Amino acid sequence: MGDSKRQRILMVSDFFYPNFGGVENHIYLLSQCLIKLGHKVVVMTHAYGNRSGVRYMTGGLKVYYVPWKPFLMQNTLPTFYGTLPIIRTILIREQISLVHGHQAFSTLCHEALMHARTMGYKVVFTDHSLYGFADVGSIHMNKDCHQKRLVYRKGADLLVEVIPEVCRMYPNVRFIVGGDGPKRVRLEEMREKHSLQDRVEMLGAVPHARVRSVLISGHIFLNSSLTEAFCIAILEAASCGLLTVSTRVGGVPEVLPDDMIVLAEPDPTDMVQAIKKAISILPMIDPQDMHNRMKKLYDWHDVAKRTEIVYDRALKCSNQSLLERLSRYLACGAWAGKLFCLVMIIDFLLWRLLQLWKPAEDIEVVPDIVLSHDED
Amino acid sequence: MDNNIAENPSPTRAKWRKVAYGGMQPRFDDNHTDDSFLEGMVMNANVVKRDMLKVMQDSISISQYLCIVVLVGLVWTYTLRSTLDETSLLYLDVSLLGSGFLVLLLTKEMLSLNLLLHYLLNVFLFTTGLYVLAPVYQTLTRSISSDSIWAVTVSLLILHLFLHDYSGSTVRAPGALKNPTLTSFISLNASVVASVFIASRLPSRLHVFAIMLFSLQVFLFAPLFDGHDVGFCLYTTPATFCSVVGFIGFCDCGVSLMAYTDARIQV
Repeated sequence: MGDSKRQRILMVSDFFYPNFGGVENHIYLLSQCLIKLGHKVVVMTHAYGNRSGVRYMTGGLKVYYVPWKPFLMQNTLPTFYGTLPIIRTILIREQISLVHGHQAFSTLCHEALMHARTMGYKVVFTDHSLYGFADVGSIHMNKDCHQKRLVYRKGADLLVEVIPEVCRMYPNVRFIVGGDGPKRVRLEEMREKHSLQDRVEMLGAVPHARVRSVLISGHIFLNSSLTEAFCIAILEAASCGLLTVSTRVGGVPEVLPDDMIVLAEPDPTDMVQAIKKAISILPMIDPQDMHNRMKKLYDWHDVAKRTEIVYDRALKCSNQSLLERLSRYLACGAWAGKLFCLVMIIDFLLWRLLQLWKPAEDIEVVPDIVLSHDED
Repeated sequence: MDNNIAENPSPTRAKWRKVAYGGMQPRFDDNHTDDSFLEGMVMNANVVKRDMLKVMQDSISISQYLCIVVLVGLVWTYTLRSTLDETSLLYLDVSLLGSGFLVLLLTKEMLSLNLLLHYLLNVFLFTTGLYVLAPVYQTLTRSISSDSIWAVTVSLLILHLFLHDYSGSTVRAPGALKNPTLTSFISLNASVVASVFIASRLPSRLHVFAIMLFSLQVFLFAPLFDGHDVGFCLYTTPATFCSVVGFIGFCDCGVSLMAYTDARIQV
């Protein structure tokens, strides 16, 4: 709130461009908005194939692609102390004031946070939803159905029951199903069994860039997930002016206002009722109006401002010496507490060793380059 | 950029809503929650309630089967060491057959003479077949070293124990092997092959016949008795366990006695 001091923020995660996904987008867009607010942002991630070293992205966003090979699902091998030297170097070079880690599945993030705490920096951690990996992003909508990834988590089995029923009740309703996955076979079977080839169109995997063009060809968006933390797909559909019908699971009821979404229990009959209701209120929906409302409801600059508030709070936390921190770690459990303390003590000793071996004065500090905002 | 929805610009404090859209709610902290926040939380959704008695029964049947397999292994070891000679083995076989028939008589509801004759005929054919094939088994592994035989037998027995269908004691409709799965077939084959390997190491045809009959009686017919009477299981398990311990103890005494006398003789 107001004009806080200019911070230098290090974003750490295993997931960043050139990977595509929720976490990656979040980090990139948040960094861009923070830069516009006047802060300096540096991103640290692991190398992707040949893309290793330092790269600059839009707005002067500096990205360190640390040359560690990912070993499992885009995660670097957790070596506990292997990343300490490089993280220390980056923190000193860029004169970082705050470290922001992303995604609980990212080992690089956790290691960076641990080392940053040892070295006395303030840290912030954001845990994204459980399934934060790169989405296939296949979304199809057309006067009816939308389907994302055809895995059991997405309730493909629900769709298999709902689609024939709706097709029977409404002769002029068509479905477009996008996405690929283990349950695609079930949908194809359902299509064959009820002879719905001309009414159910299966598009297969849709690349993220084509999602919008597929979305705007539809009128209602159907989401039948059985578990969902947030569901970006619903946001994307609402931004394209589609009315959403979704299962009432997880965080879905909190995503859209009640007049933009029709909720149903994850039960075929209830979902058919919801689709009926959606079709009946469809004439009253104005896509352009919905799009304009969505622009105001979700805004990256708003997210950046709220993140700034969190950063200010974090920076106001008191500095704790090693002993005080160790007493907090000890409280974690009978055996775990002692193990954690051991890990942190070794980390501290290694840090002191590094300070003797490679003193901070020898590390070149990067001069501040502020891109003129007129050129945006 | 205007990013807050003014839902109702009333002077009184607006109510906090559990929604993700609309940016920060005015006059509330970003991480503010109220009592309704955890309304939808479901705890222990998939907890399975276990019945103590049933768990005990199942664990008893598993440990009983383990003891039986250990007994079989013991008999094999002592036959190979010539502690048990072929006549005692044959007595063992006959007594096993006899007790099997006794259990059958006691537990089957309606036992006609026809059925009894049917069973006797099967047993007779089985025994004759084994006797005829015994020379084949004897020469089967002559070219393989003993160490390989012991290693393979032990691993096959472990595989048999691992993949065995232990659900025999659950309450189901009485009958023979019910809905056998692939793993139960594999385990049965493993045990039979292990018996064949052991039998092939024995000196005489009668040895081979006796040990094969014994092993196959246990491995093929024991599962048939699994579901019959849980009370029966409860009594036989301690008996089996004690007999295992007793057998080991007795044979160890015998062996050490023999070793002692051997030493004395040598001196």
